[in-house]
Amino acid sequence: MVKPKRLLRLLLRIIVLGSTLAAVIIMATSHEKGTFFALSYEAKYSDTPAFKFFVIANAIVTVYGFLVLFIPSESQLWGLVLALDLVFTMLLISSISAALAVAQVGKKGNSSAGWLPVCGQVTKYCNQVTGALVAGFIAIITYIILLLYSIYTFLNPLLGKNG
Amino acid sequence: MALQNEDKLEVRYSSLQPKPKKWVLLMLRLLAFFATAAATVVMGLNKETKTLVVATVGTTPIKATLTAKFQHTPAFVFFVIANGLASIHNLVMIMGDLFGQKLDYKGLRLAMIAILDMMTVALISGGASAAAFMAELGKNGNSHARWNSICDKYKTFCDHGGGALIASFAALILMLIISVMSIIKLLIKPKPDSTTVVP
Repeated sequence: MVKPKRLLRLLLRIIVLGSTLAAVIIMATSHEKGTFFALSYEAKYSDTPAFKFFVIANAIVTVYGFLVLFIPSESQLWGLVLALDLVFTMLLISSISAALAVAQVGKKGNSSAGWLPVCGQVTKYCNQVTGALVAGFIAIITYIILLLYSIYTFLNPLLGKNG
Repeated sequence: MALQNEDKLEVRYSSLQPKPKKWVLLMLRLLAFFATAAATVVMGLNKETKTLVVATVGTTPIKATLTAKFQHTPAFVFFVIANGLASIHNLVMIMGDLFGQKLDYKGLRLAMIAILDMMTVALISGGASAAAFMAELGKNGNSHARWNSICDKYKTFCDHGGGALIASFAALILMLIISVMSIIKLLIKPKPDSTTVVP
């Protein structure tokens, strides 16, 4: 009865680890040289603070997810892991929200502010950023499922006493 | 004598009930409600109109009226919606705390409150961070993408937006504390109807 639960949690954690790692790698390796009205420049993820925040947040969660895999079950640390899961879910949601906001401006521009979209000139960069955001979304959805499942399994022994 | 013992245990138990904690939670929820409501209202009414002279034909200057509204930026629209939903959530929770103590659904009341609080924290954090980075873009521009900053032209718009952002971040911290308190309440749930006090 215990083994399927542990297996499911382990599987969810591996999926989260994989998607945050993918998000970091895809975003960090996105750069492209383009020409903008006879001026050549290079588009990198570090141009925008929002993308830098996205990379840093996902990197932190990747390292955390990697370390959590080594905690033996039935250890006292799982309460702390639950609390940290909550904090890191909030961090991930915050980072992807910021990156999405800036990416939307890059793709559609903002006519009232006089900001032109840049995706026409650096298409490969835009596609890679989109891929990184998709990986981030998968990480968040899986993380929320994992969080709800952890809370459920954590509380069930406590709620079971009430009958 | 056994009856006296049970009475003493019951009296001692009822004095251990977390009464001050209930008022602290209510006060925090009230503060969070005011913070999110303030953020929603200030950003929702954020608008600045500026008349600029574009060209001069002869002696008559041609004026163009430009408006900066929060609806122009999807991030700010999301910010307003997120904070609006968060204030509705806080209002419902306050009403529930004050008037609906008996409402319960299969004993899941505290669990539902905790989960809804976590969802609101996630919502506010998403809205606040998106608006914060868009505001940073508007203030500093982005030289690589040739996006000019707009804050030197629309100073009031930027100031009001900054104020709404500060209110939202304060609400985020308050909601985080409230969420942690709700989860703690869930974990140390007292069992008031347990009559098996005898060990």
